[in-house]
Amino acid sequence: MALLVDKHRPRTLEALSYHPDLSDRLKALAASGDFPHLLIYGPSGAGKKTRITATLRALYGPGVEKIKIDSRVFQTTSNRKLEFNIVSSNYHLEITPSDVGNYDRVVVQDLLKEVAQTQQVDLAAKQRFKVVVINEADHLTRDAQAALRRTMEKYSPNLRLILLANSTSNIIAPIRSRTLLVRVAAPTIDEISDVLGKVGKKEGYKSCEPLEKRIAKDSGRNLRRALLMFEAVHAQNDNVTEKTLIPPPDWEALIEVIAQEMIEERSPARILQVRAKLYDLLTHCIPATTVLKTLTFKLMPKIDDSIKSDVVRWSAFYEHRIKTGSKVIFHLEAFVAKFMRLYEGNLMGMDMDEFDD
Amino acid sequence: MPSDIRSFFGGKPAGSPAEKPAAKAKAEPKKGRGRTRKVVEEDEDEDEEEVQPAKKATPKKKKAPEPEPERTEETTADDFFGSTSKSKPKRSEPAVKARPKTRGKLEAQVDDEAMPVKKGSAANGKSNGSTRGSARKGKKVDTYAEDDFPDDDLLEGAVDNAKADAAVGRRMGDDYDEGTDDEDDVPLVPKRAERSGRQKKLASHDQDDYDPEGDVEMKDTNADDDFVVPDEDEQIVVDRPAKTTPAKAAKKRKSAATHDDDDDDDDMEIEEKPAAKKPRASPAKKATPASKKQKKEEVEDSAEMKAIFESIPTITAPEPPSKKDGDEKPKFQFGGQHANSAVPSGAIDLSDLPQGEENCLAGLAFVFTGQLQRIGREQGQNLVKQYGGKVTGAPSKKTSYVVLGEDAGPKKLETIKQYQLKVINEDGLFELIKRLPANGGDSAAAGKMAEKKAKDEVEIKKAAAEMEKEERARLSAAKPKPGTAAAPTKGDGQAVPTSAGKQAASGPDTRLWTVRYAPTQLSQICGNKTQVEKLARWLRAFPKNQRTGFKMAGADGSGVHRAVMIHGPPGIGKTTAAHLVAKLEGYDIVESNASDTRSKKLVETGLKGVLSTTSLMGYFGRGDDAAEAGKKRLVLIMDEVDGMSAGDRGGVGALASVCKKSSIPMILICNDRKAPKMKPFDYVTYDLGFRRPTTDMIRSRIMTIAYREGLKIPTNVINALIEGSGADIRQVVNMISTAKLDQTGSNMSFEDGKDMSKAWEKHIILKPWDMVSKILGGGLFNPAAKSTLNDKQELYFNDHEFAPLMLQENYLGTNPQRTNAYNANPSMKKLAQLDLVSKAADSISDGDLVDRMIHGSQQQWGLMPTHAMFSFVRPASFVYGSMAGHQTRFTAWLGRNSSQGKLMRMLKEIQGHMRLRVTADRFEIRQSYLPVLWELLVKKLQVEGKEAVEGVIECMDGYFLTREDWEAVVELGVGEAGMEAVKIETQVKATFTRMYNQQSHPLPFMKASQVLAPKRAPAKEKPDLEEALEESEDEVAGEAAPEEDDEAEGDLSKDRYVKQPKKKKGKAAAGGAKAGKKAPAGKGKKKKSAEDDEEEEDEEEEVVKPKKGKGRASAKR
Repeated sequence: MALLVDKHRPRTLEALSYHPDLSDRLKALAASGDFPHLLIYGPSGAGKKTRITATLRALYGPGVEKIKIDSRVFQTTSNRKLEFNIVSSNYHLEITPSDVGNYDRVVVQDLLKEVAQTQQVDLAAKQRFKVVVINEADHLTRDAQAALRRTMEKYSPNLRLILLANSTSNIIAPIRSRTLLVRVAAPTIDEISDVLGKVGKKEGYKSCEPLEKRIAKDSGRNLRRALLMFEAVHAQNDNVTEKTLIPPPDWEALIEVIAQEMIEERSPARILQVRAKLYDLLTHCIPATTVLKTLTFKLMPKIDDSIKSDVVRWSAFYEHRIKTGSKVIFHLEAFVAKFMRLYEGNLMGMDMDEFDD
Repeated sequence: MPSDIRSFFGGKPAGSPAEKPAAKAKAEPKKGRGRTRKVVEEDEDEDEEEVQPAKKATPKKKKAPEPEPERTEETTADDFFGSTSKSKPKRSEPAVKARPKTRGKLEAQVDDEAMPVKKGSAANGKSNGSTRGSARKGKKVDTYAEDDFPDDDLLEGAVDNAKADAAVGRRMGDDYDEGTDDEDDVPLVPKRAERSGRQKKLASHDQDDYDPEGDVEMKDTNADDDFVVPDEDEQIVVDRPAKTTPAKAAKKRKSAATHDDDDDDDDMEIEEKPAAKKPRASPAKKATPASKKQKKEEVEDSAEMKAIFESIPTITAPEPPSKKDGDEKPKFQFGGQHANSAVPSGAIDLSDLPQGEENCLAGLAFVFTGQLQRIGREQGQNLVKQYGGKVTGAPSKKTSYVVLGEDAGPKKLETIKQYQLKVINEDGLFELIKRLPANGGDSAAAGKMAEKKAKDEVEIKKAAAEMEKEERARLSAAKPKPGTAAAPTKGDGQAVPTSAGKQAASGPDTRLWTVRYAPTQLSQICGNKTQVEKLARWLRAFPKNQRTGFKMAGADGSGVHRAVMIHGPPGIGKTTAAHLVAKLEGYDIVESNASDTRSKKLVETGLKGVLSTTSLMGYFGRGDDAAEAGKKRLVLIMDEVDGMSAGDRGGVGALASVCKKSSIPMILICNDRKAPKMKPFDYVTYDLGFRRPTTDMIRSRIMTIAYREGLKIPTNVINALIEGSGADIRQVVNMISTAKLDQTGSNMSFEDGKDMSKAWEKHIILKPWDMVSKILGGGLFNPAAKSTLNDKQELYFNDHEFAPLMLQENYLGTNPQRTNAYNANPSMKKLAQLDLVSKAADSISDGDLVDRMIHGSQQQWGLMPTHAMFSFVRPASFVYGSMAGHQTRFTAWLGRNSSQGKLMRMLKEIQGHMRLRVTADRFEIRQSYLPVLWELLVKKLQVEGKEAVEGVIECMDGYFLTREDWEAVVELGVGEAGMEAVKIETQVKATFTRMYNQQSHPLPFMKASQVLAPKRAPAKEKPDLEEALEESEDEVAGEAAPEEDDEAEGDLSKDRYVKQPKKKKGKAAAGGAKAGKKAPAGKGKKKKSAEDDEEEEDEEEEVVKPKKGKGRASAKR
C-alpha cells in the first residue's frame, strides 16, 4: 500500500501536470544528447525530484527506475567510519552528502571520482555518461562544494551532475556558473487543487472543490503536503464537506500552542515553558528555521498591526542567527523574549528605547 | 561533667590524676552558691536587705574554695603588674573568679527589679570590691535605659536636647552591649545548667524578660569588643573609672538565662586560661574606689562626643508594613533581602569612601538593612569593621545605629520602632567616620571597649606566659628523663612542674607553629566544647560500656557505640581533639591515617593485632603505679577515613564491620560524613560533628600566639585573617607564621590582612551550579562589590564549557535587581523585566555566534574572553538579582542535544528505508509524511486495536519500514502525537509484534555495518556473488516486493532473513543453522516483545557476521 503521493506520482515528463514550459525544456535537453550539469532549485513539494526522475527516464529509458540502495562505508582522515547510503540504478546514482554532516567532502571526493573514472559499460545505454544526483546540495559545506567544482569539468565526459537545492543562496558561485539553473516554482493553489481533484477522482473520492482549495492553501503550496493532507482528511472522514476540519500536523499544532502561550502571558516563567516546548520541537527533528518561520506566521494574526513589521524583522534577524550560530535554541529563545518585550511594550504604549542604559 | 566545673573554677580541666583537688573545689563552691541563691530570692522584694545578704554570700564563697583568700588577691595583683605569672597563684584563681561571677549575676537579676538598690549597692561596691561596684554600675545603666526610653524623642521627632543627649549616651552604652548577638549568641553553659535551676527560675520571674538576655548579650559584646579595639594602656587607665565594663562582663557571665552551647564555649575559653581570669578581677577592683556618683557622671559621654553624636544626621525609618499583609510578607522578603545585599545602583567610587581616624567606631554596633543607595551592604559592613565598629545582623535594643536603605525588612523596621533606634543612612555613617576621634574618643561605648581591650591584653599576656611555662616544662621534662614528661598532664592545667623555672629553653624551637602551639589541654581547643566533652565522656565510659556489652545507651546515647566518628571541615582541630582527649583520658594511641594503605585485607588483619592487645606502656611507664589499669588501654584513631580511596578497596566496609565488634575504642575522623562512601558507618558510629569555631573563639588563641612570638597584629586584622580562611585555625597560624617572616616587628594593617587571606584563599574550581548562582545571585554586579570585570570573566573560566549553558538555563530564574527602580509600578516593572530578559537573551545569542567562531571551522580560540563576556558576563549583568525560589538547574541543552541526535538517526533510518518510494528529504519526511504515517501506523493501532494490525503491517511493508522504524515513528511524534500520549494496549502491541515477526518483510537494503564483515572474507567472489543472488532473488522477494525495481535489494533482504533466524535459533539453542527462506518459519516460533526486539537487534549485529558468510554461500548454492 502506498500513500496517494507516491501512488500517483507522474513518471514521465509528459505526465507532469504543471509548469509545461519547464517540462518541454527538460524534454528538449534530454533529447539533445548534450546534457548539461543541472542545478534544480525550488521549495519543497514543488516537484523537483519528480521532474528529475522523469528526465532521467527520458534520458535512459525505464531501466532507470530500477533502483536499489547500497550502503557504503567511507573512512575519514581521522579514521572515522562513515556509513553512507547510495541509491542507484544502472545509469545513475543518487547521494545525499549532507547525511554525513561535516564529512561530506570525503564522500564527494571519493565517490564522485570513483564514478567519474569508470566508463559506462553497458553498451546498450543511450548515453555515455552517468548521472549523479546530489540531494540537498544547499547543505553541502563549502569544502565539499569546492571539491565538486573541478570534478565537474574534469570528468564531464563520464559524468553529469544534477544538484537539488531549496535555494541557490548556499551554493557557491563557481558551481552556479557551471550548471544550468532550473527553477521549479511551487505550484499555485489552483494547480494544486487541480491535482487533488484528479487524484480524488482516480481514488473515487467525492469531489469537494472548496475543501481542496483550502487544503492547497493550508499546505503552503507544497504539493506533497497537500496530497498527504488530502489523504488524511479523506481517511478520517467518509463524507467530506467544505467545512471539514483539516488536521494540522503534530508539530504545527504544537507551535500553535506556543504562539498562544506567548500571547497569553509574557514573563520569564512563561519563556521557560516555551523553551521546553521549543526543545521538544527541535529534538523531534523540526528544523529551527521552520519552527521560527511557522511561529512567526502563527503569531501574526494575534498581534497588533503596529508591531507586525517589528516582529517580522526580528524573526528574520534571528533566523539568520540560527544559520550562523550553532545552538539554535538560544536564538529561538531570544526571539521569544524579544517578542514578549515588543508585545508588552505595545500593550503599555511604551517605546522600545525606554530602558536603554 | 566534672571537667566542666573544674574548668569553670580552676581554669584548667583536670585529667584523671588531678581529680582530687578539682572535686574539692567543686563541692565547696556549690555550697556557697546555694546560699547565694536563697538570698537572692528573699531579696526580690526588699532592696536593702538584698544588699546585705549578698555581701554575706560573697565572703562565704570566697572562703569556701580558697583557704587563703588574702594570698590570692595578692597574687592577682602581682600578676596584673608583672604579667609573667607564677605557678603558685593559679590555685587561688578559682576563688577570685567565682566570687565576682556569682555576685554579678545576683545583682543583675536584682537590678532589673529595683532602682533603689543602687545606693546600697554603691556602698557595697566600695567595701566589697570591684565586682560589686561595677555590677552596680552596669545595673544602673540598664535601669536608666529602661526608664528613659519611653521618653525618647525619636518617636515623636521633636528633640529635647539635654534629654536626648542623656538618652543617647545611655543608649549607646546599652546598644553597644546588645548589638553583639549575632556572633556570640550562643548562650550557655553547662555552668548555668549546673547552677541551680532555681536561679533560672528567678530570672524568669523578673519583670523584664529581656533583661537577662540583655545581660548575656552584653557580656558577649564585651568580649568581642575588647578584642576589636586596639588598646592603649594609658587610655584604659583614664577611662576605667568611667567604664562599667568589667563589672558588666562579670555580671553577664553569670546571668544569662537562655543560652546555647556556643556561649558556653566562649566562657570556657576565657576561663580556661587561669591567668586571664585574674587580671580581670583585679582591674575591676582598682576601679572601685571611684565614688558612685562620679561613676555615674562618667558613664555619660563627654560634651564633644555628645555633640558629635548629636550632629549625625538621622533619618526617619518608614513605618513597618501593617500586620495585615504580614502573611505574605515573609516569603516575599526572603528573596528581597538577598537582593538588598547586593546592588546599589548609584554606587560611589571606592575612593570616595570617607577616611576616618583609626578605630573611630569603637564600641558602636551597627545594623545594615535594606538596599543602600551608594554603597553595597558588604562594603558598608567592611567599612564599619575596618574602623572598629561592630556589625550585627538584626537590630536589637543595643544597636547604636541602623543604617537604613530602601526596602528594609518589615521585621527590622518593627524592631527599630520598638526600640527607637537611631536610624541613619550611608551619609550618616560617613559622617560618623569622618568626625569621630580615634578609638571612639571618650564616648562611653568606646571607653568600655578600651577597657575590655586592656583586659584582654592582660589575659593574653597571661596566657602567653602560661604557654611559656609549659614550654619550659616540656623542655625540662624532655631533657632529664621520661618520667617527668607526664607532669604537665598530671598536674593538669594548674601545676607547672616545679622544675620549670630552672632551665631555659635550649636552642631555637624548630617545630612548626601548628605543632608548637597545638593545644595541650582540653580548654585550649577552640570551639566545639560540647563535642569534645562528649568525646571525653564516651571514652571515659568505654570500659563500663564494654562490661555491659554496649547495651546501655546512656544519657547521650553514646553508650552503645564502640566507635566515634568525628567529622567537620579541615583545620578546626578534629585530630587534635581526638589525640588530646585520648591522652588526657589515659589511653595510648594507635593511629592510622591516609598515609597507610587501608584496604579490606589490611584493615582486617592489621587491626586484628591491635584490637585484642593492651599497651605495654602501662608496664614500663613508671615504677610505682606501673600496672595501673588505665595505662594499659589503647585507643585507635583512624584519621582521614574519607581519604580511603581506590587503593583501599573495601577498606571502608571492613572498617565499619570492625567498628561493630572492636574491643578497644575507635575514633574515626573524616571531613565529609555525608559522602556516599561513608554510608557503611551509619548507625555504626557515634557521630560528633565539629563545626567551625567562631572568630571569637579562635581570636584569643591566635592573639596569644602572636603575642608570644612578639608580633603586633591588630585585632581587626586577626579577624580578617580568621574570616578569610573560613575559621581554619591551622591556616591562620600558618599565616601569622608567614607574617612573622615577612615583616618582623612591623605591624600588619587591615588591608594587609585582607590581602593575605585573599592570597591564601583556597582556590576551588567552582562547580557549574556555583558558578551560575554566583554570577547571577552573588551580587558581583554590585558596584560596591569590588569585583572587577576580570573577576567575573574568571568565573566563566572555571568551566568554560558549562558556564554559558548553565547561565542560559538559569538566567530566567532571577528577580532582576535592576527592575527594583520600578517597584512602585508593577506593570512597568514587568516591562523592565522583560526588557532585561530580552537583552540578556540577545547577548546569549551573540555569544553563540562567537562560540561558532571558536568551535567551528575557524577555531579562533583567542575569542574565548569575548565569548565569556557575551555568553556569560553580559547576560548576567542584565538579569542579576536574587535567585530565591529558583533552584539552579543543570543545563537541559546537553540532554536535548543528544536526544535530538538519536531521533535524527532514527529519522535518517526511516528516510533511508522509504527512499525507494519517496522522494522527500528527511525534514520533509518528518514534517509531511510522519504526521500521516503516525495516523496510519500508531493511532490506528491505538484506536482500532487488533483489527488494525494487518493493515498497519501492510502499510509498513509498503514503505519498507521495519519494526524499529515503527518505534521510531512513535518516538518522533511531538505534542499531541507525543510518545507519552500514545497508549497502546500491551496485548495489541504483542499481537502486532508477533504478527510482524511471523511474516517476512521486504527490506530495501542492508546496513553497511552488517554487510561489511562477510564482505571481507570472500572478497574476490563478490561480483559473482551479487549476480548469483540476483538470480535467486525472484523466489525470495517475489511476494514481498512486487515491484521490479525492488529486485536489486531483494537479495539483500534475503540476507537479512538468513541472518535473523540464525540468531534466533542460536538463542533457542537449536543448533542447526538453516539458510535462506526457511528462516521465516523459524522466526514464527517465537514471539518477541518489543524489548526483546531491540536487544536482539543488537545481538544480531554481532551474531550475524560469522553466519552470514554461510547464509550467502548456501544461497548461492
